[in-house]
Amino acid sequence: MIYFINRNTIFNKAVITVLLIAVISMNFSCKKALDVQSTRLSTEKTQWTTLEDGLSGLLGMYALMRTAMASNNTHWLMGELRLGDFQATSRSDLKAIIRGDLKASYPIMNEITNWRRFYSVINSTSLFIERSGEILAKDKRYTKVNNDVDIAQARALRAFAYFYMVRIWGDVPLITSSHDGQFEEHAKTDQKKVLAFAEAELLAAAKVLPIYYGLNDPQLPGDYYGRNRDSWNGVLLTKISAYSILSHLSAWQGRYVDTEVYTKFVMDNYQKDGSQSSPRYISMDDLTENGFYSPFAFKRGVQIVGFAFEYGNGEATANGHIEQLTLAAPLIRKPVPDMFVPKDTIRSAFKDLKDLRFGLDTVTKLYRTNYFLNYNTEMPIFKKINVRQNGDLGNDGTFAVFSSAVLFTRLEEITLLRAEALAVLGARNEAIDALNTASSRRGATGFSNTSNADVIDAIFAERRRELMGEGWRWYDLVRYNRIKRNNPAFNRLLDENGIYWPISRDVLNANKLIVQNSYWN
Amino acid sequence: MVRIIASTIYTVLLFMLCLSKAEAKSYTAPLNYHSILLRQDTVPQDSVELKKIDMAISKKISSIAILKGTRDSVNVKMSALSPNLSLQQILKGNTSGLYVQEITGEPGTEQSMLIRGLSAPIFSRKDVYAVQPVVYLNGIPLAQDNPFAFEVQKYDYNRIGPATNLLSAIDINNINSIEVIKDPVTLAKLGPNAANGAIWITTKNAKSGSRQISVNSYFGMVQATNVNTVNGAFENKFRQPFYQKYATTADRANYASYLRDSTSNDYYGPSNWNDLYFKTAPIHSIDLSLTGGSERANFRFFGGNTRSAGNADQTALNRYTAAFQINMAPFTWFTLSTKINATRLDRDRNRSVRDHFGETTYLTDFSTPLAPNKGLYQSFLNEYDKVIDDNTNTLLQGAVSMNIKLNKVNFTTSLLFDYMEGVRDVFYPSTLMEDNNYVSNYFGFNQRMILNNAFTYALDLNKNNHFDFELGQSLQDDTYKYNYAKAYNGPSDFIKINEVDGNKDHDDYLESPYGGFYIFRFNDREKSKLLSFYGSVKYKYKDLLTLRGSLRNDGTSNGQPDSRWMITPAIGAEFNLKSQFLKENTLFDALNLTASWSRMMKPFNDDRFAGGPQYRVQMGWNEEPTLPTYGGRGGIMRPYTSGWVGYGIGLPYVDQLNVGVDAAFLKGRLNAGLTFYKKDDKRMVLNLPLVTESGYASINSSGMDVSNTGIELNLNAAVLQNNKGLSWTSGINLSFNRNKLTALPGGLDELIIGDRKLKVGKAIDAFWLYENNGIFNSTAEIPVNPATNKPLTFDGNALKAGDPSWKDQNGDYVINDADKVLKGNRLPKITGGWSNEFNYAGFNLNIQLFAAIGQKALNQYDANRYDFINRETSNNIGSIREVNSWQTSSKVKSYPIYNPWSDVIPYRVDQDIFLENASYVKLRTVSLGYDLSKTRLFSKMKADFKRIYVYVTANNLLTITSFSGSDPELIDYTGMYNGYGMAIPKTYTLGIKFDL
Repeated sequence: MIYFINRNTIFNKAVITVLLIAVISMNFSCKKALDVQSTRLSTEKTQWTTLEDGLSGLLGMYALMRTAMASNNTHWLMGELRLGDFQATSRSDLKAIIRGDLKASYPIMNEITNWRRFYSVINSTSLFIERSGEILAKDKRYTKVNNDVDIAQARALRAFAYFYMVRIWGDVPLITSSHDGQFEEHAKTDQKKVLAFAEAELLAAAKVLPIYYGLNDPQLPGDYYGRNRDSWNGVLLTKISAYSILSHLSAWQGRYVDTEVYTKFVMDNYQKDGSQSSPRYISMDDLTENGFYSPFAFKRGVQIVGFAFEYGNGEATANGHIEQLTLAAPLIRKPVPDMFVPKDTIRSAFKDLKDLRFGLDTVTKLYRTNYFLNYNTEMPIFKKINVRQNGDLGNDGTFAVFSSAVLFTRLEEITLLRAEALAVLGARNEAIDALNTASSRRGATGFSNTSNADVIDAIFAERRRELMGEGWRWYDLVRYNRIKRNNPAFNRLLDENGIYWPISRDVLNANKLIVQNSYWN
Repeated sequence: MVRIIASTIYTVLLFMLCLSKAEAKSYTAPLNYHSILLRQDTVPQDSVELKKIDMAISKKISSIAILKGTRDSVNVKMSALSPNLSLQQILKGNTSGLYVQEITGEPGTEQSMLIRGLSAPIFSRKDVYAVQPVVYLNGIPLAQDNPFAFEVQKYDYNRIGPATNLLSAIDINNINSIEVIKDPVTLAKLGPNAANGAIWITTKNAKSGSRQISVNSYFGMVQATNVNTVNGAFENKFRQPFYQKYATTADRANYASYLRDSTSNDYYGPSNWNDLYFKTAPIHSIDLSLTGGSERANFRFFGGNTRSAGNADQTALNRYTAAFQINMAPFTWFTLSTKINATRLDRDRNRSVRDHFGETTYLTDFSTPLAPNKGLYQSFLNEYDKVIDDNTNTLLQGAVSMNIKLNKVNFTTSLLFDYMEGVRDVFYPSTLMEDNNYVSNYFGFNQRMILNNAFTYALDLNKNNHFDFELGQSLQDDTYKYNYAKAYNGPSDFIKINEVDGNKDHDDYLESPYGGFYIFRFNDREKSKLLSFYGSVKYKYKDLLTLRGSLRNDGTSNGQPDSRWMITPAIGAEFNLKSQFLKENTLFDALNLTASWSRMMKPFNDDRFAGGPQYRVQMGWNEEPTLPTYGGRGGIMRPYTSGWVGYGIGLPYVDQLNVGVDAAFLKGRLNAGLTFYKKDDKRMVLNLPLVTESGYASINSSGMDVSNTGIELNLNAAVLQNNKGLSWTSGINLSFNRNKLTALPGGLDELIIGDRKLKVGKAIDAFWLYENNGIFNSTAEIPVNPATNKPLTFDGNALKAGDPSWKDQNGDYVINDADKVLKGNRLPKITGGWSNEFNYAGFNLNIQLFAAIGQKALNQYDANRYDFINRETSNNIGSIREVNSWQTSSKVKSYPIYNPWSDVIPYRVDQDIFLENASYVKLRTVSLGYDLSKTRLFSKMKADFKRIYVYVTANNLLTITSFSGSDPELIDYTGMYNGYGMAIPKTYTLGIKFDL
C-alpha cells in the first residue's frame, strides 16, 4: 500500500486528507448499506406504535377467527353433517363425516381436525391483550377507552375460540398468555376449567364492551377508529355478542339457569330501534332473498356473532361457505351439489305446509322455494343460503364465489335457545312464547299453549327448520340428547365421549403431551 | 477483536477503492476476461497487447482453469451442434458432478440444476430455487427469479408471470467457454453467490485483425410422439372389475356420467385427439457475428434468432439475442472493456387444463374430462384460439471493466448489471371456464448491480518462489419486484384487458370502468444487499507446489442484524507429483495431486429473517391463501402460517473439501481425473412443525446440516489417432453422490413434515412409504391382536375385505405413520455421460449418451388412475384429466384390485407399490458433419473461407429404462411422476457454420 503511494507521487497531502474523510464516511455508510427496510413485514420496532397498529391488530384477530371457522368449510362440516339432515352425493369424505366415521383418512379430515388455527386466534388475542397498551404511550390518538374496548374484544374473542373448540374436541389445552417466542408443550385441560375461564373472560369483557360501535354508546362515545356505526355493523363483538356466547356456553354445560339469565340480558338490551344495524327478527324474505337484508350477505347488524366476507373488498371466496357444498345448477354451473337434503328428510322436518320456508304456496299450488329448489327432483338444491358473488339477485351464478358470512348466532337463534332454557327449567308458557316469537315470521301455525306435544321437541324441531345450514344441527342433537337421553346409540356417544371429534395427527405429532380423544383410539 | 480487525481491513480496502476512484479515470481490464480458452469453437487470435494484459488479469480467476483439459468444462464445439435451448440442456450429461433433469419437454420452462447433490430437502417448488447454482456470464452472477411470488399462489405448478427459464437466454453460438466450478478455493473467491456451486460462462471475445464474419444456422424439426390412444371403452373396461367386486347400488348410480352412455360418440367414438395435440414442429436458428479492429481497439458483435418448439400443444420459445463487446487499450497500461448482452424471450405456453386453472385458481366442475375425439378437441382448441397468453422476458446484462497495470500492480474496477423484465398477459374466454372469463397481468423485474474492485500484486521473490496477492471488494444490490392483478367475470369476451380508473379522485379509483370485473391485486418487492471484502494469496514454488489461500468477510442485508457478517477462509494446495518424483517416468505425462477446503456463507434468498419477530398479513388458509382484509379493512398478525421467525438465526454456510488426482498417460492420449468431495451445508434454516397450541404452523429454525459426499471420475482418451484414417476420441464422466442429513435444528433426531420424514443419518431425498403386502380378500385374513382380540386397523379405521395389507412394522396392530418406512431416493446415485468423436476423411461423427442410475419415483399417475373414485368426486385441481390422458402403453403396470370406495384410501400414493426404479440411459445426440472448406470446390475460390461446416444432428433418439411411465426424466422435484410433463421430443436438424 504505502509503497504504492510513495511511488505515485501524484497524491498530495490534501488529496489524502480528503480521501481519508471519504474512507471514514464510506466505512460508516457501508455498514448502513446493509440496513434494508423490508416492505413485506412489520417488525417489533415498528409494530404497536400507532393507532393504525391497534386497528390492524384488532382486525387481524377477527380475520383469524373467520379463518378458523371457515377454512375448508369447518363450521358446516363439523356442525351440520354428522347424523344431520344432509346427504352427500358422491364425496367419500362427506359421507364418512355424515356416518360419523371421523377417523377416515381423507385429507380434509386431517385439515379440519387440526386445532392450530383456533390457537392462532388465542395467541393473537393474548398478544393483543399484552401488547396493545404500548400504543397508548406512543400515539396520543389512541385513548385508554379505545384500548379498553379493544382488549375486551380480544378477551371475548379468545373465550369464544375456547368455547368453539370445547364443543368440537372436549378437553383442550388452556393457554392464557401469548408466551410470545416460547413454544412449550401443554397438556389438555379439563373442559370444565376451560369453559370456566371462557365464562369469566366473557363476563369481564361484557362489562366493557359497548352495544354499538361508532354510535355514542355510553361506554364508547363517538366514532370508533374514526368510523361510524355503518362501518362496524356485524364486524366486531358487542356486549350482546358476549352475552349470546355466554348463553351458549352455559347451555352446552346444561346450566340452563344461567342460560336463562344470559339470554334475558340479550332480549332486554339489544337495541330495539328497528334499524338495519341492530339485531332484530327478520322476515322470511330477509332470511332467504339474499338481498340487502340477508343475515348472511355482508356484515350485518343482525349477525350477533358472525364473521363476514365483504364482496366489495375482495373477500368473496369459493371455499369457506356452505354454498360450495350445497349449490348446483341452475344456481351455479356445477351440475350436482356435494350434498343435499333428501326429500324424505325435508318432509319430516317441515310438516306444516303453511310454512314459508318449505310448504305449499296456496295460490300457485307449488312447493315454496325459499329453502329448497327443485324439490321434485332426486336432489333438491338447498338454497336458503345463496350469496353468490355479492348476493345480488341479478347474478347468474357464472362466477361461483360466495360472500356469505360464517354466522354463529342471530336473534331467532338466541330466542330459541332462551325457549329451550325456559322449557328445561319448566317455564312452559314462557318457553312457548319465546318459541312462537322466534317462529312467528315463518308462516307456520304457532305452538299452542294447550298442545300436549313436548315443547322441547317442538323447540328443537323449530331449530332444525330455522337454522338448517347454519352449522347447528350436530350441536343441537347433542344438547337435545343430553336433555332427553332417550336414544341409546346417542347415549353411548355421550357417555364414551364419542360426541367429540378426533384430534388431527399433525397436532399429536407435534406435541407428545396431547393424547387422542379416547373414543377414537 | 474480530470487528476491529475487520474494520481495519475495510478501511484499507476502501482506501484503495477511493484511490481508484480518484485516480482511475483510467484502469482495469475485464475482470472476467480470462484467457484460458477451453476448446474454442473458432481460433482466437488476440492481439499481443491485449493478450498480455489478459494474462495478468486472468490471475484473478486463473485458478478456475487450474484443472486443465476438458475436465468440468463443456465441450462447446460439440454442444453447438445440438439445438439445445437452455443452459441446463447444454450441460445435461456433459460434466461430472452436475445433474440436470428436464421435468418437461415444454421449451423454455424453468429447469433445475444440482451441483454435487442436493443441499436441502425439497418440500415444494420454491425450495428448488434455494439449491440452484449461480451462473456467471462474463463475470456477472445472473439474478434468477425470486420464489417470493409463491406466497400469493394457491398452486405452485408454475410461478406467476412468464415463468420462463432465464437461462434459456444464452445462445451457445456466442459462448466461448462454459465451466462448472466445483473447486472450493475457486468458489470461495467468487463469494456467497456461489455457495451452491457456480457455472462460469464467457462469451466469445473481440479480437483484432481483419474483419471476421461467422454465420451459424440450422433448420430442423421436433417429431410428434406416437401414442397408443384409448377411448371411453378402455376406461369403462378398466373400471368394471372394481364395480363388480365392490360397488353398492348407490355407487353404481354415481357411475361417471361421461362413461355411462356407450353409444356416445364423444367418449366411445374414435380416439384421435393426438392428431391435434402432437404436431411435428419446425425449429430454426440463425446468427451472425462480426469481429474486427486494431490491436488497441477491437469489437465483436453477435446477433441471432432461435426458435425452439415442443412437439405437443403448439409450445414454442422464440429468442432474439444481440451482444456487443468493445475493447480498448488507449495506453499499454490501461484497458477498457465493455460487454453488453440483450435478449428477448417470447414463450408460447401449453394449453393444459391444469396450468390454466392453476393460474386462475378458480375451479369449475371437472367431473367430465375433455373427450378423446378429435372433433370435440378441435372445438376446445377453437375456443382456445380466443385465449391471450403472452409471455415475454427482456434481459439485459452488461459489464464495464477497467484495468490498470503498473509494473506488478494491477487494478481492476468493474461495474456489472443484470436486469430482467418479465411480462405476462392472460385472458381466458368465458367458454373455457363455465361462462366466466378471466384476465391477469403480470409485470416483474429482477435487477442486480455490482461494483467490484480488485487490486493484485505479483511478487517474484526469486526464481523459484512466486507470490500473487489480491485484495478486493464487492457491493451487490438486488431488487425483485412484481405487480400482478387478476380479474374474473368480466362483462364480455371482447374486453380482454383489465383496465382500471387511474384517477385517485374518482370514486371508482382502481375499479374497472366497464364494470363486472372482480379484481385482485398483488404487489411485492424485496431488496437485498451483499457486501464483500476479501484477500487472497497464491504461492508457487517452481512448478512443484502451488498453495492458495483466501480470507473473506461477507455481509448480507438478509441476515439478522447481529449476525450479518461472516468471515470465511479457504485454503488449497496443488502438488505436481510428476515433476517431483516421476520426472523420468515415461508412462505419466502429468500427475497432480490437489486438495482444497473452504467455508462459504450462504445468504438467504428471503428478507424475512432480517426482521426477527414480525407481523405479516396472513389471514387466509390453504384453499384461499390471499384473503386481503376483514370487514373491508386490513389486519395484521404474527406469521402463523408461514412460521415464527425468532432471533438467533445465524447465516448458513457450507464447508467443502475436495481431494483430487489428475493424470495424463501415454503421451497425453489418456487423461484421467479422480476427485473425492465432501460438502457440508450447515446451519440451514428449516421450517419445522411447532406445537400447534402455539398457533403457529411452524418455526423457522436454524441448525439443519446436510452432507453430500461423492466421487467424480473423468476419462478422456484418444483411442485412435490417425491423421489420414479413422480417429476416435472418447470421454467419460461418472459421478457418485450420496446425501445424508447430519443434524436437525434443536438436536432433533427425526421430524415429520407433511408427507415427508427427515431422520438424522438418512438421506434427505428418501420417500416415506407404507410397505404393501397385497390384499385382504376376506375379513378372515385380517390379523387379530391376540392380546386385545381386536383386528388390525388403519389409523382408527377398521380394515375390510378389499383393503390393502400394509405391513405393520411395529406390530401394534394399528397401521399409522409409525409403520411408514424411508425407502428409495429421488436423486440418482450415479450420473454420467459418454461422448465420442470420430473423424474420418474430413467427416466428423459425434455420439453422446448420458445416464442416471439408482433413483426412484412414485407413480402418482397410476395412483390417480386407480384412485378414480376419490379423484373424480373430490373436484379439486387433482381431479383434472387432460386430453393426453387418453393413452396407454405396453409398459403400463397393473395393480391389485382394491375397494376404491374404502375409507383407508387403498390407492394412496405413499406406498411402495407405486415406487418404481427410474434409472435410465439415453442416447442424447448423434451428429455427423463435414467441413467443405477443405474441398476443392471452395479451396479454389478466392473467398477466404476458414470453415464451412455442414452437419446433421439427431437428438433424444433412444431411452433405455424399466420405468413404466412415458419417460423417467418427466418426474417432478418431489419425485412424483404425474404424467403432466410434456414429452422430450426427438429432434432432427440440418446446420451449417461459416467462418470467413
